[in-house]
Amino acid sequence: MEQQLDFLVDKVVAELQKKLGEATEQAPSPKAETGGLIQLRSEPKAEPVASATTAPTQAPVANEQPAPSAEPERTTHVPNPKYKEGLDELLSSTPARIGVWRTGVRPLTKTMLELRRDHAAAVDAVYGEVSQAVLDQYSLFTVETQYDNTENYLKRPDMGRVLTEEGVRLLQERCQKKPQVQIVVSDGLSAAAVDANLKDVLPSLMDSLKSYGLTCGTPFFIQGGRVASMDHVGEILEPEVLVLLIGERPGLVTAHSMSAYMCYRPRKGMVESERTVISNIHRQGTSPVEAGAHIGTILSKMLEQKASGVKLVL
Amino acid sequence: MNTKTTVLGQTYQFRDLKEVFAKANEDKSGDQLAGLAAADSRERVAAKQVLADLTLADIRNNPMVPAEEDEVSRVIEEGINEKIYSEIKNWSVAELREYILSHQAGDNELKRISRGLSSEMIAATAKLMSNLDLITAASKIKVVTHANTVIGQKGVLASRVQPNHPSDNVQGIKASLYEGLSYGIGDAVIGINPVIDTADSVKDILNMTKDVMTKFDIPTQNCVLAHVSTQMRAIRNGAPADLIFQSLAGSEKGNNAFGIDVALLDEADELMRKEGTSYGPNFWYFETGQGSELSSEAHHGMDQVTMEARCYGLARKYNPFIVNTVVGFIGPEYLYDSRQVIRAGLEDHYMGKMHGLPMGCDVCYTNHMKVDQNDMDNLGILLSSAGVNFVIGVAMADDVMLNYQSTSFHDIAAFREVMGLRPAPDFEKWLEKMGIMENGRLTAKAGDPTIFM
Amino acid sequence: MDEQWIQSVGIDVGTSTTKMIVSRLRLGRMSSTFSLPRYQIVERQLLYASEVHSTPLIGFDEIDADGIGSILAAEYNKAQISLSQIKSGAVIITGETASKKNAQHIVHLLAERSGDFVVATAGADLEGVLAGKGAGAEKRSQAIQGVIVNVDIGGGTANAAYFQRGRAIATVTFHVGGRLIRLSPQGVVQYVSPNIQQWLSAKGLRIQVGQEIGFAQLTEVAEQLGRSMLDYLTGKERQVSGLLVLGPHLRDSIPVAELTVSGGVGLLMSGPPVQNVSDASRYGDFGPLLGYVLQQEREKGTYPVQWLDPDQTVRATVIGAGMQSTEISGSTVHIKPELLPIKNIPILKLELTEEQLADATRLRQEVASIYQLGERLFEKTTGIPFALAISGIGYCSYALLQTLSQELSEQYRASFPESQTMVVICETDMAKALGQALALRCKGAPEIICIDQVRVEYGDYIDLGEPISGTIIPVVVKTLAFDERP
Repeated sequence: MEQQLDFLVDKVVAELQKKLGEATEQAPSPKAETGGLIQLRSEPKAEPVASATTAPTQAPVANEQPAPSAEPERTTHVPNPKYKEGLDELLSSTPARIGVWRTGVRPLTKTMLELRRDHAAAVDAVYGEVSQAVLDQYSLFTVETQYDNTENYLKRPDMGRVLTEEGVRLLQERCQKKPQVQIVVSDGLSAAAVDANLKDVLPSLMDSLKSYGLTCGTPFFIQGGRVASMDHVGEILEPEVLVLLIGERPGLVTAHSMSAYMCYRPRKGMVESERTVISNIHRQGTSPVEAGAHIGTILSKMLEQKASGVKLVL
Repeated sequence: MNTKTTVLGQTYQFRDLKEVFAKANEDKSGDQLAGLAAADSRERVAAKQVLADLTLADIRNNPMVPAEEDEVSRVIEEGINEKIYSEIKNWSVAELREYILSHQAGDNELKRISRGLSSEMIAATAKLMSNLDLITAASKIKVVTHANTVIGQKGVLASRVQPNHPSDNVQGIKASLYEGLSYGIGDAVIGINPVIDTADSVKDILNMTKDVMTKFDIPTQNCVLAHVSTQMRAIRNGAPADLIFQSLAGSEKGNNAFGIDVALLDEADELMRKEGTSYGPNFWYFETGQGSELSSEAHHGMDQVTMEARCYGLARKYNPFIVNTVVGFIGPEYLYDSRQVIRAGLEDHYMGKMHGLPMGCDVCYTNHMKVDQNDMDNLGILLSSAGVNFVIGVAMADDVMLNYQSTSFHDIAAFREVMGLRPAPDFEKWLEKMGIMENGRLTAKAGDPTIFM
Repeated sequence: MDEQWIQSVGIDVGTSTTKMIVSRLRLGRMSSTFSLPRYQIVERQLLYASEVHSTPLIGFDEIDADGIGSILAAEYNKAQISLSQIKSGAVIITGETASKKNAQHIVHLLAERSGDFVVATAGADLEGVLAGKGAGAEKRSQAIQGVIVNVDIGGGTANAAYFQRGRAIATVTFHVGGRLIRLSPQGVVQYVSPNIQQWLSAKGLRIQVGQEIGFAQLTEVAEQLGRSMLDYLTGKERQVSGLLVLGPHLRDSIPVAELTVSGGVGLLMSGPPVQNVSDASRYGDFGPLLGYVLQQEREKGTYPVQWLDPDQTVRATVIGAGMQSTEISGSTVHIKPELLPIKNIPILKLELTEEQLADATRLRQEVASIYQLGERLFEKTTGIPFALAISGIGYCSYALLQTLSQELSEQYRASFPESQTMVVICETDMAKALGQALALRCKGAPEIICIDQVRVEYGDYIDLGEPISGTIIPVVVKTLAFDERP
């Protein structure tokens, strides 16, 4: 192919010029005008504020649910900034609420209400419940921990680590014992995180397991679960490796963030450092499908190395 | 040592000092979780009553965590001035409380007596104090410290600007830093919590903050709040660190869970003496918070107020520049609602000041606590009135990296304005030079981050 | 693994001089242990810089390939570097040299003799940008609000790159260089580049081969040439000066706050005063005079622009090429290590719109039309016909991933059945998921290489290096433009 270099270049250029010519006629776009200005590999300059948000979200494919939009609006209220373009540059560099301006020493009403709105979304996520339809879609049956109610769940993390007797019985009845990989889903501190991300993370993880030729036990859902509930499950089902997909403590940027905790041979008395974690899984953070694929890689390495947490070499 | 009392016709016999200490606490979800809390208000009062009559010698002679078993106990024990202690060892806790609150005990007297007190004794007085007692006592103590600049003076409310970024993007950190500076925030420290705990990344951020400080001639100090050993690696690689940071726990086991011990802190102290970039003599930045020992099951069956006091006992060995209680970060299982958070904030501030420490407070909460921004307004004003050395400034209170809410740049400006407080003097002069502040008030230019571009 | 060093080489074969450097680049982990891994180049160290050699020529317009080969062999030896240690880098065939008839031959020869992964690259745009980086203009632009332009003036061409806030925003190349006019020590004109004839006529300047040129006349030509270039760069005048532009013109003039001049002529700006023909012709061309008149312009301050000293002059391009040409792909990727490195893969772009992403039928049509373009453009091969660069996807759901992987794989297998390897480059972090989805569908026919977080454009070629620590792929994007030249 290398000998064809000149030839190829000619063709690329010719075709490119043709294509660009057509494109320019139809709809002028910054990229289509490269005939004049050589645009280098840099962000398009137009639309400073709109395109400056941390993660542009595209319209999802048809069967998607509407995107949760708790993203702060990236507009600035600083009336006469010393360097206007500079302000856009600052805003595009961080999701932090900057360039918000003030009245006296207090925030503007809009800014204050945005903060309260995002806090409301976060609180709702803590007190919400995972949609049954989402669980049904992946045939996840539900077991509960001893958490009892949300207030108690918040005050007594120890109770969220132990399944009810009924839960233990259900696992014994319905789950494959000693699987190679056990997948567990839990609401944790954000039911909304499960609703938002499970449909991307879980099938991508399943594909990954398939790619690595790993077999998977019977997945299920834990209501009122804490991270260490994986230890109790480990005692009951004795999987080689276990992954727990669990809702994270909601923040204001998103209330929909999920974590994946992974462990080799989970059992009672495991310490944090024996678990491997991928956190911040959501649309604007770690891509859910990419996380699913990567979790499979981590699990396969755990099986290879018979270790997890700090002992695992990734 | 008497551990028995009668309240409202019911007699209470407490097992030991630990039980008295725990049950004398105001209600906290963390003490409940540990199974240490008083069953009801009556039992709580009984414990307080017993505690009030115990002498300081009782507390010292019945160590709750023996020095042989725990190096934090040893540090506290070794720090006690025997001469001062012997003058007051027969005082009851009630007498100590009354002395602290009396008019005869001013700044100097309290600093002197502090040297004869163990952390447990200071914790004991906190348990007998109302919120206003805690404010009254703490407001008498001024702890002035010096790194590059001086903070802690009367009438000064300093602030840490906390320009965190979810992926440590240096430009993004800079953006929030500029915003904070433009509101007059950052006189205590420019302090970043990194996502990436590598010496490289820490060094990059230290270099960037130092560059900004140099370019605009900002009288403050920089710090990156990575694990102390990571900061040490960065410093050895030439990173410019004015302050060195570490989170502390109140027991050896708790510190081990943080990956530190006294030997490591000593080593870091030595390194900062040799390679720290601030004038000193104070160059440590410590953070603490009620409940951290229980979360690592390192609490030795003790309540979270007493364990918190022990953190301060350890901290004072190192004459820190600033100490910060991150009061509402750890979650509802330790501090459930705003009432508990506000109480803990006042307790920590008082206990720190009684240790002679330059106490600040991260007035903060997470989204799964029964707390909102109004509660932060309240605690901020209470601490400002108690003379807190510094508070934390985050853009609109929303920390996009740690996912919790603290106090905003606006809030700190309001605390200052409402309470008649000022930034640290050198910093205020600089704000005036930059045209951000005039006569203690923000100017029309304030709030425009692009003045630093 | 927190950090890793890779060695990178830069080679610059110019019209008049040839030089090479060896550098090492440190890859640092840029993500927390709770995130997907991500690495970046966090430090660049120059390990070795060769002396500046005269480019060996055979006659006027043929580069002595073997001569270049022996220069490099000697330099590698001096630098005590073995080819197998070199993991990345770039070869620049500068300016007019690239138009010489055996440039292709040279490029391939260099690629073979300069390390397994070292890539050949040419093209004034990339070269100008690399020189601007090497000269320090990119870094400087981050500290100022306005635009800084660096112009790297060598023997045959001057490559200008405009930077604003750390980004290259435009490039332009001129027929301006020290060897466009060659002189005997007595001042007899030996050669005048045909590329400036039109400009000379427009300016009413006369200079002929064989003519014994006076110092005043020669100075006049040099001054006019320098000013025309500055006129164009600063937007003062673009009609006549535009005759010097090689390749695309700037669409609009760009207000310039600061200017640096690098390259051999940039170095000559700080040389001794040029007072007569013998000073001017000391290298057999009018380069010293061109440098001198530019320095005079700088001192006069006629142009409303701040002149700064560049960090590098004669080595700006080679340092840029060796130290700034390599990128790192995202670290969650789908690869088969045994298939790497791969070199010189042309880019085919699939730029998806929101409408296409939302509608499977429209997505299918778009993929089909892009593949048709690929069929027309590229040879059928059992190897890799092109790398498909996908952009326009922000958040990718699993449902979209399925639709996309189905369309991409089925149509690829139908259109390029001989191809044994499919290369896909995603703009956003999704390579592992997409690669996995494609591989599940293709089952090895073809094999899938899918990387992400690298920006490429039509007309680019790309080289992927061997993975470092399993999944970190060094990437060099080449803007290849030999034959765009008139």
